[in-house]
Amino acid sequence: MDKQTDFVLRTIEERGVKFVRLWFTDVAGTLKSVAIAPAEVEGAFAEGLGFDGSAIEGLARTYEADMLAMPDPSTFQILPWRGEIDPTARMFCDIQTPDGKPAAADPRNVLRRALAKASDRGFSFYIHPEIEFYLLKSSQIGPEGPIPVDNAGYFDNVPGGTAHDFRRRAVGMLEQLGISVEFSHHEGGPGQNEIDLRYADALTMADNIMTFRTVIKEVAIEQGVYATFMPKPFSQHPGSGMHTHMSLFEGDTNAFFEAGSQYHLSKTAKHFIAGLLRHAPEITAVTNQYVNSYKRLWGGGEAPSYVSWGHNNRSSLIRVPFYKPDKGNSSRIEYRAIDSAANPYLAYALILAAGMKGIEEEYPLPAESEDNVWALTDSERRAMGIQPLPQSLDHAIKKLEESELAAETLGEEVFSYVLANKRREWSEYRSQVTPFELKHNLESL
Amino acid sequence: MAYVDRPSGLSEFAKYGFSDLSGTVGKLDQLVALVGDSGRSAIAALALCADPDQALNSLLDFAERDKSATKKLLNKHETAVRFCAILGSSKALTDFLRRHPDALSIFEKTHEIALGPQHYRALLLESVAKVLQPGFQSSDAWNILRKAYRLELLKIAIYDVTAENPQEIFSTVGAALADIAGAAIEGGLAVARAELRYTNDHGNFTDEEIDATRISVIAMGKCGARELNYISDVDVIYVAESGSPAVESHRAVEVATKLATRMMRAMDGTSTEPDLWQVDPNLRPEGKSGALVRTLDSHVAYYDRWAESWEFQALLKARPIAGDLELGDAYVSALSPKVWASSGRENFVESAQKMRERVMQYIPANEINLEIKLGPGGLRDIEFTVQLLQLVHGRTDESIHQRDTLSALDALTAAGYVGRSEASQFSRAYKFLRFLEHRIQLSDMRRTHLMPTSESKLRPLARSVSTKTTSEQLLVEWEKLKVQVRALHQSIFYRPLLSAVAKLEGGSLELSSTQVEDRLRAIGFSDAIGAHKNIAALTSGLSRRAAIQRQLLPVLLEWFAKGTDPDAALLAFRRLSEDLGESPWYLRMLRDATGAAERMTQVLSNSRLATNLFERIPEAAAWFERLEDLAPMTEAELKLEFNAIVSRHEQGETAAASMRQIRRRETLRIAMGAVLGELSLSQISQGLSDLTACYLRGMLDVVIELEGSSVYSDRPREILDFGIIAMGRFGGEELGFGSDADVMFIYEALPGVIPELAQKTAERIISDLKKLAEDPFLEFELDLDLRPEGKNGPNARSLDSYRAYYERWSDTWESQALLRAKPIAGSQALIDAFLELINTYRYPKELPTSAVMEIRRIKARMETERLPQGADPRRHTKLGRGSLSDVEWLVQLMQLQHGKDHPSIRTPKTLAALQACVSEGLIAEHDARVLSEAWTFASRVRSASVLWANKRTDVLPTDRQQLEGMARIMEYPADSATQLEEDYLAFTRRARMVYERLFFAD
Repeated sequence: MDKQTDFVLRTIEERGVKFVRLWFTDVAGTLKSVAIAPAEVEGAFAEGLGFDGSAIEGLARTYEADMLAMPDPSTFQILPWRGEIDPTARMFCDIQTPDGKPAAADPRNVLRRALAKASDRGFSFYIHPEIEFYLLKSSQIGPEGPIPVDNAGYFDNVPGGTAHDFRRRAVGMLEQLGISVEFSHHEGGPGQNEIDLRYADALTMADNIMTFRTVIKEVAIEQGVYATFMPKPFSQHPGSGMHTHMSLFEGDTNAFFEAGSQYHLSKTAKHFIAGLLRHAPEITAVTNQYVNSYKRLWGGGEAPSYVSWGHNNRSSLIRVPFYKPDKGNSSRIEYRAIDSAANPYLAYALILAAGMKGIEEEYPLPAESEDNVWALTDSERRAMGIQPLPQSLDHAIKKLEESELAAETLGEEVFSYVLANKRREWSEYRSQVTPFELKHNLESL
Repeated sequence: MAYVDRPSGLSEFAKYGFSDLSGTVGKLDQLVALVGDSGRSAIAALALCADPDQALNSLLDFAERDKSATKKLLNKHETAVRFCAILGSSKALTDFLRRHPDALSIFEKTHEIALGPQHYRALLLESVAKVLQPGFQSSDAWNILRKAYRLELLKIAIYDVTAENPQEIFSTVGAALADIAGAAIEGGLAVARAELRYTNDHGNFTDEEIDATRISVIAMGKCGARELNYISDVDVIYVAESGSPAVESHRAVEVATKLATRMMRAMDGTSTEPDLWQVDPNLRPEGKSGALVRTLDSHVAYYDRWAESWEFQALLKARPIAGDLELGDAYVSALSPKVWASSGRENFVESAQKMRERVMQYIPANEINLEIKLGPGGLRDIEFTVQLLQLVHGRTDESIHQRDTLSALDALTAAGYVGRSEASQFSRAYKFLRFLEHRIQLSDMRRTHLMPTSESKLRPLARSVSTKTTSEQLLVEWEKLKVQVRALHQSIFYRPLLSAVAKLEGGSLELSSTQVEDRLRAIGFSDAIGAHKNIAALTSGLSRRAAIQRQLLPVLLEWFAKGTDPDAALLAFRRLSEDLGESPWYLRMLRDATGAAERMTQVLSNSRLATNLFERIPEAAAWFERLEDLAPMTEAELKLEFNAIVSRHEQGETAAASMRQIRRRETLRIAMGAVLGELSLSQISQGLSDLTACYLRGMLDVVIELEGSSVYSDRPREILDFGIIAMGRFGGEELGFGSDADVMFIYEALPGVIPELAQKTAERIISDLKKLAEDPFLEFELDLDLRPEGKNGPNARSLDSYRAYYERWSDTWESQALLRAKPIAGSQALIDAFLELINTYRYPKELPTSAVMEIRRIKARMETERLPQGADPRRHTKLGRGSLSDVEWLVQLMQLQHGKDHPSIRTPKTLAALQACVSEGLIAEHDARVLSEAWTFASRVRSASVLWANKRTDVLPTDRQQLEGMARIMEYPADSATQLEEDYLAFTRRARMVYERLFFAD
């Protein structure tokens, strides 16, 4: 690691960095940060930074509270929003137990394990997410709910609009952080924006997504607005998904591509899709981890509510995009359930594991659905063998509980933590008396 | 020179080593037709080569291509011998000669090969220099360089295959092969520089930048040590600097990276003259993902800060072979001190062991017996031993800092770390194995370390040892050698550990205490000084025991070092040995019995329970000799022995003492079988349950029949019929190590006896029994809590009292407890009456819904209330999620519900009941499997925990070392603590899901 480390130490010196933030992610997907002085960085590389893991959600069992954060020098970046006064940098960390073993409950380690398993079979996993979020005037909720910054729609160019400046500034910052942006535009809902990140390997991308969320929040503060990744902040407008394009590579070759076959999909790709379809319901509690996530999944619009796949069919859970003949390596599939609030490390680990399971056991690919799945009747869907995704967090938890695939991929520790955490959320949610009930019941009963 | 005439018969050909006899006649005729009489005389040369048939075929081919050149070579015996020797041992070089017939002239004279790296570098540089002009084609330069290399290779091969004693010249050949490899790389660098200078195909660099770039190629591994194979990857590391102030060092690194890349293409790129071999730069800092070329400072910084122990071991053989040698020397002198300090690093022991295991793991099972290099007793064993010794002692002794194996071995011998005779055997074995490896590779120039299996390949190999050797002889000799090499590792590394304290026979070798302790630390003893003292105590003196232990200890030390706690194991061995003193059987067993000593080390290293019991019963060491002795005694055998004690003794206390001793002894036997993996879980629990039952019965007999008890004088046999009912896991014959024995007591007053007297007598029997059965050395606890009314009830009840109680008061939990009741003492009539009574309760005609509800409620409450404060329910092996009680309660609920209609499920044994439920269609096979897996695994975890720590615990430990120890007992490979934890959590999680589905189902 020394070239990277040297680079880090040199840059800290040259740029006069005053603080280095060590970042890691807890099991729930929240970014955690601890700042250290430049003088401590070298020591942190060599021995890690000790901290009390029991204070972090899901990270450690109380009896092994002492944990070490080991900074990964390849993730070093100066944080652009800090400006030139007191420059601050950040690095992502791997979490270790005191005896130097990877911590079972470190989401980054969960994803590393899943990637290593795929790599044993010769595959590397590449990802390209389209991240949607809403810009609000503030985090205050008005009488009609949250207040968006504008009232524009899909691809609208809003003259002098906040969103436009916002995206320009955010994209600039992301590029400064070494995160390439493919595309950015106004999305369907008022104040809703989408930024697509250029594809990268899954671990880098999960780190990027965590950084992305911070950047968006920081830019919003800078511009006096508020950004939210909440899956469904408005019942009448589309939710914020994180459609994810993915492909497997064997060395330099795209393993999803096969010239001449239907949609240019290789056998590997077909098994991968089949695996992801079969296991989709049981991993939904992770890819869509909040009570609110299910308001998006079942709120119409473009959200995929049913387990199906199709070629350019926007109602499908998995979409196989048009193949561009000049881009031999661009074969990919798009998973559309995952939302912008997922823990990307865990979600991508499970998605990969589901696909790999399909490859290992050679699951047959079910028939493509060419119709708009929402337009079918329940009986038609039943006749075609199209299953729904879980309809609520509760339903998703039940599916997750029974998932050997999830237990094995997440590891027993993370698996049971996730379940406990989600059960708690569901029970808190259930104990609410909602405005809906008050509106419909209070006066009439 | 007397030439051999054409042989008269086919058997003559056989004598000359041909195998295609009749074909040879025709071929020889053809040869003679082409080249005249010299063809006939070629037979003498052919007879000397490894594969006469192959050589003759090639000869014919050459003769057809060029009569006169072939004739010229065959005319002289010396040249004919050289020519045929190459044709008969290397197809690859034969092909080279076909491509380049001008090379045939090489055979005309003998060639010296010990010319040194300098000579070959100059030679190969010169060969390629003339084409390196503006506008040259890379592939032309490559072809010239490769041909020049192969010409030298051919000379080395001739030298090798025609040597009188080829095994003895191995060092010369290995060094020359390394030298020409270095020279080829030097030539490759020259080509690369010219490419950069004359074209822009590989980047734009000014002449100044190219000239200023100093690059040095450091060889690692066999090339670095000048003991290279005929064909092998050449492991290298690149270091570069700028030689001019005008060029910045990062620019020089860029140029050097390009030079290195192009040089590697010169070795392995496609061209008309085939590629040489791969240059492998992956041992560099950060491996594949690291920068290809670094500056010296950057290398030093890396090794200072990041490198792992094995990376230092790789540096042991580093040597500059091409490019800027001055820079290369600076690299070596900067890094070599770090190599020698590496054995002081924290993880040295672990990484040295891992290095070895890693190698073994990568060999496919079907090849392990063919591996000359990596198999047991192979080259790697020798190299590993030598390197380990160098690293352990080289920290303080510079005289053993050698690169190549043979010189290192010599230096180790000269400095007194290895005995002379072992060293010479080791070196002989090494040369022989390297010789085989060379010859196998030479044939096709393929990188292989496998002994050939086909006769057509084995035969030439055997003939290259000597023309008289057959394939069978070769294989026999090789097998013998493998055994010898394995034994030598022990006598070289471990035997001298004794030398500082004990005079060894013929031992000129003496290590100092510090040296011994260095070695002990290197293999994993954390208290090396203490270990050294124990070794001293075991081996000093003139006794026969000390003499035998001197023989044995080297091996034992190696085995101890493989266990989880070598220090404790060595100490335990010392105690055992002192206890047993001079018992002849003990010494004989250790010395002679196959596997006995290894089994002993395994038990002492892995089980504190067994180690403690050994202190009481050292004679149990005898069982290590015969695995049959580790089988638990059957109930019948135990009964005989306990009965014999009662009839032999008159005094209760002495009889009880003998019985306690039997219980310790038999527990130890089962513990040993369990640690050694000789017993299944069911054998263990059956054995322990039988033992406990017989022990209690025996003690009951002592109380009733022998003097000394408080009831003896009252003649209890005339007052009552007394019985014992095993309950719980005891009733199910599922006891583990350290389990309590759950029991209830029952009696029936004899006719005419006043009930109060009978009750009183029964209670006194129980109190006597409890007292006698206690054992301070191996805890024994009777648990009476499952009796009617639990803790508040009387200790004993008469049959009538039980009947009255169950009729009036019985709670559901009591019926449930009765499911596992199994009478183990008392008259048959009493037992039958009791069973008849309880069967109506435990297999009721109908289980009321209220009872089902109550069972479910109690179970649910128990999960929260009985779990100790703060315990993680997932890790509690008895009451936790999916563990024993989940499975048992589910089974018991089914028995209560269906026992009446399905007699086959009426058994106190959990697994048997589960299986019967499957046969009766009461539970799905898959569910039953999940449940019994979890139950079995949890039971094994509990047993392993007691065996390892000699402490009972209901919680899966979190301590890594303890988990590791348990994992070894459960037959996991080393370093499986996390896996054991993961498996336990997974098994119980699955069982919990089944439990929740079935236990609450209606």
